[in-house]
Amino acid sequence: MLPNYKTSVKKVDNEDKMSGLAIFTGDIQMDGALFALPVRSTISYGKIKEIHVPTLPEGYYFISAKDIVKENVCNIIVSDWPVFADKETHYKGETMGLIIGPDKDVCIDLVNKTYADYEEYEPVYEMKNSYVHKEFKKGDPSLFNGAAKVYSEEFETGYQEQIYLETQAMLMYLDGDKITVKASMQCPFYIHKAICRTLGCKEDKVRVIQPAVGGAFGGKEHYPSLMAAQLATAIVKIKKPLFMCFDRHEDITFTTKRHPSKTNISAYLDKNNEIIGLKIHVGIDGGAYIGCSMVVLSRALIACTNTYTFANLEVSGDAYCTNKVPSAAYRGFGSPQSIFAIEMFMKHLAGFLRVDALEFRNKYLVKTGDITCTSGVFRDPIILKPLMDKAMEMSDYKRKREEYSKPGSLRGIGISTFLHGCGFTGSGESTIINAQLKIKKDKNGIVTFYTSQVDFGQGNRTTLKRIVVDTLGIPEDHVIYDAPDTDKTLSTGPTAASRTIIIVGGLCAKAAQHLKEIWVDGEEQEIVEPYVGPSYIKWDEDTMQGDAYPGYAWGVNIVEVEVDPVTYELSILGTWSTYDVGHAIDERILVGQADGGLAQALGWAYLENEVAENGVFKQTKMSDYVIPTSLDMPHMETAFIDNPFPYGAFGAKGAGELTFVGGAPALADALEQAIGKKVNKIPATPEFIMELMNDED
Amino acid sequence: MKINFKLNGSNVTVDVVPSKRLLDVLREDLHLTGTKEGCGEGECGACTVLVDNRPINSCIAPIANIANKEVITIEGFRETKAYRVIADAFADMGGSQCGFCTPGMILATYAVLRDNPHPTEEEARIALSGNLCRCTGYQAIVNAVLKASEKGIKL
Amino acid sequence: MINHYVPTSLNDALKYLSTHDCYIMSGGTDLMVQKHVSSLVLPRFDKDVLYVGELKELQYIKEDKDGNILIGAETKYADLLLSPIVPEIYKTVIKEIASPNIRNMATMVGNIGNASPAGDSLVPLILNDAEVVLKSVNGERVLKVSEYILGVKKTARKNDEIIVEIRLLKQNLRYLYRKVGARKAESITKVSCLVGYQIKEKKLIDFRVAFGSVGVTIIRNLEIENKYKNIEVKDLDVDRVISDYYQLVTPIDDQRSNKEYRHKVAMNLLRKFLLELKGGIDE
Repeated sequence: MLPNYKTSVKKVDNEDKMSGLAIFTGDIQMDGALFALPVRSTISYGKIKEIHVPTLPEGYYFISAKDIVKENVCNIIVSDWPVFADKETHYKGETMGLIIGPDKDVCIDLVNKTYADYEEYEPVYEMKNSYVHKEFKKGDPSLFNGAAKVYSEEFETGYQEQIYLETQAMLMYLDGDKITVKASMQCPFYIHKAICRTLGCKEDKVRVIQPAVGGAFGGKEHYPSLMAAQLATAIVKIKKPLFMCFDRHEDITFTTKRHPSKTNISAYLDKNNEIIGLKIHVGIDGGAYIGCSMVVLSRALIACTNTYTFANLEVSGDAYCTNKVPSAAYRGFGSPQSIFAIEMFMKHLAGFLRVDALEFRNKYLVKTGDITCTSGVFRDPIILKPLMDKAMEMSDYKRKREEYSKPGSLRGIGISTFLHGCGFTGSGESTIINAQLKIKKDKNGIVTFYTSQVDFGQGNRTTLKRIVVDTLGIPEDHVIYDAPDTDKTLSTGPTAASRTIIIVGGLCAKAAQHLKEIWVDGEEQEIVEPYVGPSYIKWDEDTMQGDAYPGYAWGVNIVEVEVDPVTYELSILGTWSTYDVGHAIDERILVGQADGGLAQALGWAYLENEVAENGVFKQTKMSDYVIPTSLDMPHMETAFIDNPFPYGAFGAKGAGELTFVGGAPALADALEQAIGKKVNKIPATPEFIMELMNDED
Repeated sequence: MKINFKLNGSNVTVDVVPSKRLLDVLREDLHLTGTKEGCGEGECGACTVLVDNRPINSCIAPIANIANKEVITIEGFRETKAYRVIADAFADMGGSQCGFCTPGMILATYAVLRDNPHPTEEEARIALSGNLCRCTGYQAIVNAVLKASEKGIKL
Repeated sequence: MINHYVPTSLNDALKYLSTHDCYIMSGGTDLMVQKHVSSLVLPRFDKDVLYVGELKELQYIKEDKDGNILIGAETKYADLLLSPIVPEIYKTVIKEIASPNIRNMATMVGNIGNASPAGDSLVPLILNDAEVVLKSVNGERVLKVSEYILGVKKTARKNDEIIVEIRLLKQNLRYLYRKVGARKAESITKVSCLVGYQIKEKKLIDFRVAFGSVGVTIIRNLEIENKYKNIEVKDLDVDRVISDYYQLVTPIDDQRSNKEYRHKVAMNLLRKFLLELKGGIDE
């Protein structure tokens, strides 16, 4: 019997954040800090022949590739992104150098007067040059040759900008000879590694400390590594504190975003209209450098059959190199793109076969013991049916669906089912991350533990602490758990991939349990607990075969919309969601994740429009790239169904990204009912809805 | 140019160019960093402060327009009873996640409840529509406004 | 060297204006954004700046003996919304401008002074023949808002003049209005349409149409309006009116929308309003 962890506790950072006492990077007062401003390339692709720097007043510096200490490489998963563009620039706005000085106003003038001579090459903006290709099969795709019918469609999704409310910011200073970083970030050890790599310095010469972080959503997973490598190159020369903070337009224009995608799906049907199998290709626009795009592509492909199971599959995907700002992590990490495609495809296929869409989809829903698309096994109990029933009951789905099916209702209600693999792909947790957690106790019984997990709003500082407090069964104020500091913390891995509670939470529980077992009053004790993954996880990244994740979280979204026939504006009337996140720890925090994730997904689906033209974004301000306001979001209802996961802390699974992946297909399903047209592309802006409604097909 | 105004109950004088943004005066000259900058163009409301008891965006307010007025920032507001009620409601309903919008959101909530002590959910949404939040999807914040309304902010 | 001047009175401001070509700063909600460079950096002005936003003598709302509403130029939108004498149509429009915070700072005169085609308050001002009073050390003149605005960011203001008052002339119109932006609050208008009309004994005795954000300035055409005045409401030919406005509405593509959408929605709104107008004949 599990204790009831659904109840909520006071968040440890609430009071500081509400009262304005929380110190974010830009709030840190440091005397003598110099401003560092990027000098950016002005062409999409070409040779940088020479950079012309104006005469610099005393106390001002220009730092560029010439100043690189060891490697002009930013350590990301694939380290093809240089710290400073050197011989070539691959996208407009790439940083060629930094102007650094005490007066920001003067720095701005110096940046404006710095320019380069280029030899321009022909840029590529469309998805045509693949730099990562992956493919795998399930069953026997040669059976496709015997198909009686083939049904094919293409789906597209757009860019999405994270719009964390706090823009990218970093302060770097020397503490003795140690480079010390305080920044708005997700992954302290990524920054740590990036600095060590470009400088070729020892690990103990760099320290990364996390201040309060104002939202991240994936956008602060990799980009801060680039900023850190740039500032580190500068600080070695200048030896003064450096501060780099982006204005909003700069953040929107030049930092990483969600990958746009194009997915093609073909269903091969037998003469009884049963699906023999699917052929799926997912293409994502990675921008100028690969960075983490190969992993985004991998996750997109693993998610490409979503909650359905098919005997035979031929899956492939490409990440394409384009001369645009590199795309990188954003909540969902590739899976929202392919899940949008398959959800809409299954629905359209049902339409093509003239059968009820929901019944058709239900026929192919995965069950416990089914084989995943990568030929692994869904081992844990799958409770999709109860999740659907509950969401339908909450939303009065059946009545509304029926009512809105009358022509001209201009209303619709849509449903999606979805899953999200928790933690790093495959055996990555045990082979790449190797999280280790340090927990110690002093003579007075005060327990201190450290993780490298950043709380940028998800509430994990509260939840991880609670796991340790409850496991040890000691008062809350006997446990100290501060924000990450690489001098004190062993790496428990990045704050990404919905791994914090399922992986690190589990590790916290285990470490605390071990401490409890060896607890001796009045003694100092310390434990270093390594992560040990479930032994059944076997994964081959090259062939994309095996168990892709240690566990899966599941969900259902229902979205109700109305379309104005005069202005083609879409209004969301309500959302109802149910989730299986294992055993829910702290429902208040989880509802926050659920509503917030869904709101971002809905924004992506119909409102947030980021278009690149000639390699640059057209929407570069918050008045042009609009995110939902409180008036655009409807009343949201959320429920959780308990389904404890044996390997997570107290049965918990991941929840952060799960809440994003189903929003777009549910909204698009509702929109299709409202207007009686197929929606194969998002965002479904009023401009696009107008095209659809006026299209006489 | 010397500009006088009342800040969180005390008189202050700053000697700055009249076009300087109130936000920069607060953060740079007066070291009050509870007021945040999210966009610099009056869109996000993270920089909300009260001027003569009305919420404004300090990121687009020239300090010249603040002369002789009364400014309340989160640093001053957090000392009030109304703050306690609102902050407790935010904590109860999960209205703060990353916290960057929160000081502005709390001041905006105060302004709503002062003008309309018992707003409907829709009225609360309208009143907060200039304060953007990317974490919560707004439901928790709206719930917090309604919760604080139940308790009453006791002005 | 840029000079910043904060006057203590209108006279003081007028004197300054008589010798300086300068920006006139009201609430700052547009100018401060336009001239913004970066956080912790002063906005960059290329001319002197005169701050009149807090001149108390320019903050008033009153009614004259003819029932016209006179608004001191520096009155904030929020005060217009609170006033019992400001006509409802203005409140309807103002409620959808920006956000509550901005409405506590911004003024209608700022919208007029900027002369942006997306200035929402210009739509009712121009449809209702509202006037602005311009003052300088040499005297005063009154212009219709439609005469004051010459084009995108272009106005009839002389360097030594300042708008001191907006006059909302008394009207006996009914209105149909819709603003379309990217979202439900805080949005810059993609297209807006306002129809004003008066029906007496089933005759359309007044008929006016204005569009926002679909041309270089607010679109209004007296010639077309006059064609439909004094006709029987039942004879109002909706398709003909639409075809009259069809060519006049000349929107552009930009980062917020495209011309096809703006044009189509402008016509859709007009059609919807005309049908409502015709349907309301018996009320």
